[in-house]
Amino acid sequence: MKRLRLVGTGRSPVTTRVLLIALIFLPALALAYAGPGAGFAVLSSFWAIFVAFLYSVYALMTWPIRQLFRFMRRRNAYGKATFERAVILGFDGMDPELADRFMNEGRLPNLVKLRDKGTFSKLRTTFPPISPVAWSTFMTGVNPGKHNIYDFLARDTSNYLPFLSSAEIKGPKRHIKIGKYSIPFGKTQIKGMRKGTPFWHWLGNAGIFSSVIRVPVTFPPEKFQGVLLSGMCVPDLKGSQGTFCLCTTRASSDKFREGGVRVPIERKNGVCRSYIPGPDSPLAEKAGTELRVNFEIRPEPGLKSARFAVGSEKFALKVGEYSEWIPAEFKAGLGFTAHGICRFYLKELSPEVEVYVTPVNIDPGHPDLPISHPVTYSIYLAKLFGAYATLGLAEDTWALNEHVLDDDAFLAQAYGNHEDRERMLFDALEKTKQGLCTCVFDTTDRVQHMFWRYLEEDHPAARDVPHSQHPPVIQDLYERMDRLIGRVMEKIDDDTLLLVISDHGFKSFARCMNLNAWLHQNGYLTLKDGKTESGDWFEDVDWSRTRAYTMGLNGLYLNIKGREKQGIVDAAEVEALKAELQQKLNGLVDPASGTVGITGVFIADNVYRGPYTENSPDLIVGYGAGYRASWDSVMGKVTARIFEDNIKAWSGDHCIDPRLVPGVLFSSHKFIAEKPAIVDVAPTILKLFGLALPAHFDGKPWNLAAKAR
Amino acid sequence: MAIAGHAAAIAAFRFFLLTSPLAIVVVVSLVVGLLMVVLFGYTSDQKAIGVAKDELKAYLLAVRLYRDQIPVVMGSYGKILRGTGRYLKLAFKPLLYVIIPIILLMVQIDRYLGQTPIPVNAPFLITVHLSDQYVSSLTADALDSVTLDLPPEITMTAPALHISAESEIVWRLAGSKEGKYEVKVAAAGQSVAKSVCVGSDLARISTVRLRGHFWERMFSSAEPALPETSPIESVAINYPDRNIEIAGYGVNWIWLFFILSMVAGFIFKELLGIQI
Repeated sequence: MKRLRLVGTGRSPVTTRVLLIALIFLPALALAYAGPGAGFAVLSSFWAIFVAFLYSVYALMTWPIRQLFRFMRRRNAYGKATFERAVILGFDGMDPELADRFMNEGRLPNLVKLRDKGTFSKLRTTFPPISPVAWSTFMTGVNPGKHNIYDFLARDTSNYLPFLSSAEIKGPKRHIKIGKYSIPFGKTQIKGMRKGTPFWHWLGNAGIFSSVIRVPVTFPPEKFQGVLLSGMCVPDLKGSQGTFCLCTTRASSDKFREGGVRVPIERKNGVCRSYIPGPDSPLAEKAGTELRVNFEIRPEPGLKSARFAVGSEKFALKVGEYSEWIPAEFKAGLGFTAHGICRFYLKELSPEVEVYVTPVNIDPGHPDLPISHPVTYSIYLAKLFGAYATLGLAEDTWALNEHVLDDDAFLAQAYGNHEDRERMLFDALEKTKQGLCTCVFDTTDRVQHMFWRYLEEDHPAARDVPHSQHPPVIQDLYERMDRLIGRVMEKIDDDTLLLVISDHGFKSFARCMNLNAWLHQNGYLTLKDGKTESGDWFEDVDWSRTRAYTMGLNGLYLNIKGREKQGIVDAAEVEALKAELQQKLNGLVDPASGTVGITGVFIADNVYRGPYTENSPDLIVGYGAGYRASWDSVMGKVTARIFEDNIKAWSGDHCIDPRLVPGVLFSSHKFIAEKPAIVDVAPTILKLFGLALPAHFDGKPWNLAAKAR
Repeated sequence: MAIAGHAAAIAAFRFFLLTSPLAIVVVVSLVVGLLMVVLFGYTSDQKAIGVAKDELKAYLLAVRLYRDQIPVVMGSYGKILRGTGRYLKLAFKPLLYVIIPIILLMVQIDRYLGQTPIPVNAPFLITVHLSDQYVSSLTADALDSVTLDLPPEITMTAPALHISAESEIVWRLAGSKEGKYEVKVAAAGQSVAKSVCVGSDLARISTVRLRGHFWERMFSSAEPALPETSPIESVAINYPDRNIEIAGYGVNWIWLFFILSMVAGFIFKELLGIQI
């Protein structure tokens, strides 16, 4: 935003002000002449006060009636509650071993206070230990067989292709063709795939208010008594899970493996022009007609900064600097506009010009898809704090993996998002004096994923940096989280329960394993004749001769007759094949290091119970510490090599044997619980608020050691 | 033929724009609305105004979102009031800047649109106010010494009315022919002139001629100041107020201008992306 001031009036400010005041206050007529300026100010203020007044009258008049109604319906919601309020801070991926180590090093004084006064324990995670799975279990209190989330991706049995497991977004069914336009009629259909009922719905039914911020797999938002901002799995404006854009004058035909596109910058007469790719036009007859927002870059003399013009927005950036969130309106015609926001990062001005643009997030102040409940909650936050990241995976790990961003630029982005989240949390704490306040911070997960390489002496992804020069990024991360906890502790009293939890821990990801390659080399997966490798998503797999395959992070599937379209495994063979694969994979050794690459293979029937087990993988593969499914294997690619070094910045992971990566549990009050698990959180909270536990819950509530009310 | 008709239509439209008070108010309102918005944009802290407005909206939404939590609702009301104050403070400074040119412009327009000329043969009053100092320095009936010198087209229709308590003399006059005339008023051997406009066309009108009173002169008079040595403080004529007909109602141009310029301003602010 520009900030312009009147200059060169040629009169001293004091004289000007005296004259102006004289003009206004001496003759009565002048007030009438103040005209539209005064009118604007008065009308705008009057509008605010008038609306506030109407609201206040409405709220005050109806409050007793609503309270009476609530009382009659639910009696005293907090009558049996042990605490007035529960605050749950979710630190995605906070690792208990690291937390313990840093506490012992004196880095985390506030977590030490919680440990000493309340509880510190490992928190058992889910099978598999993946965020969407674990957070779904956290909120529903059930195992994945009852909430239907087994990974980020699920597979379509009709074509072996993946789809997002958490939500399905479809355009309107009906279109009317007028000339070159195909006009959609009806709403975009968004279907949540996660089943089960989040525990804040049970609280809401009992009249207990909840503020829920960025808990994963809460998109699309569901109706309940409280406010909720959706987290992980919210798409970007393109509908993807995050597609960054590198605008560059460098000619290159290379494509990014995942998560980004390269867009050319045209340089002419000192002005650089490029565009931000957006969603497909909803009006175009032909699918894949991309909408774009053009922008201009005018490098300043000296080539250390540049002025940008994006639509009506104008701003300046130095090299190595991020912009604020900039509105990006993708106009399709006939008044159809998709509203997004993005940030620009000026990478380079000389000799070439390169600009990184974040994925285009859904504009929280003007959401084209619902990202909160009520819809106005995201708008409220945007008005209060300004625009903020809404994309589920807002920290652009792909851009760092692809060397589009460097370490510092990634951290600046991640901590920028984190600060926004902190502001939201403290606002929710202020607004939720009674009830539940829960907020999940993703920074812990993303930073550990990307900077684990600096925690080890000989990580393949950091071999070019001497260990003595490894920056203490993860230590800083834990200290930052500890300071946040300290500030939260200042805001709560003894009648508030504070839980700090994580969905899983973390381990090194130094070696990749292509399980599809292993299946291929061991005769379970067959390629088309003449092929030694396969492209993405099983491009060259011969399904008529394939008995097992893997996609996603931990799931192993059998190609079962009658289930998969080209299934060949008879129902009678299924159990034997599962046992055979379990026996062969369990304890599989990486020949290069002699280390066990897979420490556990779990048959789904033994770990899942519930109505949605038919959608689960047949086996869950638990990789050993230091190992994980290779990037290729995740995408259904079959390579020649089974094991290889992981040299990407994404150097830490948790998608391994769940027994190796429990999460953390800290609490302000002492709990007596043997081997607490993330599935226990929901029943524990319901019990602490005095509610009966639904019979279908898998978790068991923890007992509070002592608490006087 | 068609070209001639077209030219005639354009000429008629121009004439309408120049002579119709309604057309003038509409055009001026549009121009002023645009100028106000542009000036406001250049003289205000747009970012701060945007933030203040957004916060106000947020507090309003908070009332709705947390409606069952009375402390939050009451706190939000307090913030709405404080936010409104902050917004007004931010809007006041640019308002000061934009008021100067607008006031000067409006004063000039008011000369034309504020009053109508005296209709032909219609009676009107001319009021001469003498300084109290002059009146008290003379003997009784000092007001008798003040005389009026009229042009042939202006006639006196009633004897002068002396209001001694107010040091004023009022004459009732009438104009027999359209035109601009000068009426001369003499007192203590000094004569001053006051313009009189008779007719029905749009004309620049000065309702009063004043001695001193700088600010009042700036807003009310379109004539030079009376000499400082003159015993006459003011000479005023009661021109009829002009009303512009809108849907059968007579409206003062100021109100019409106020509404139209605001509407124009709201439209232009959207088009120009300026926060108000």
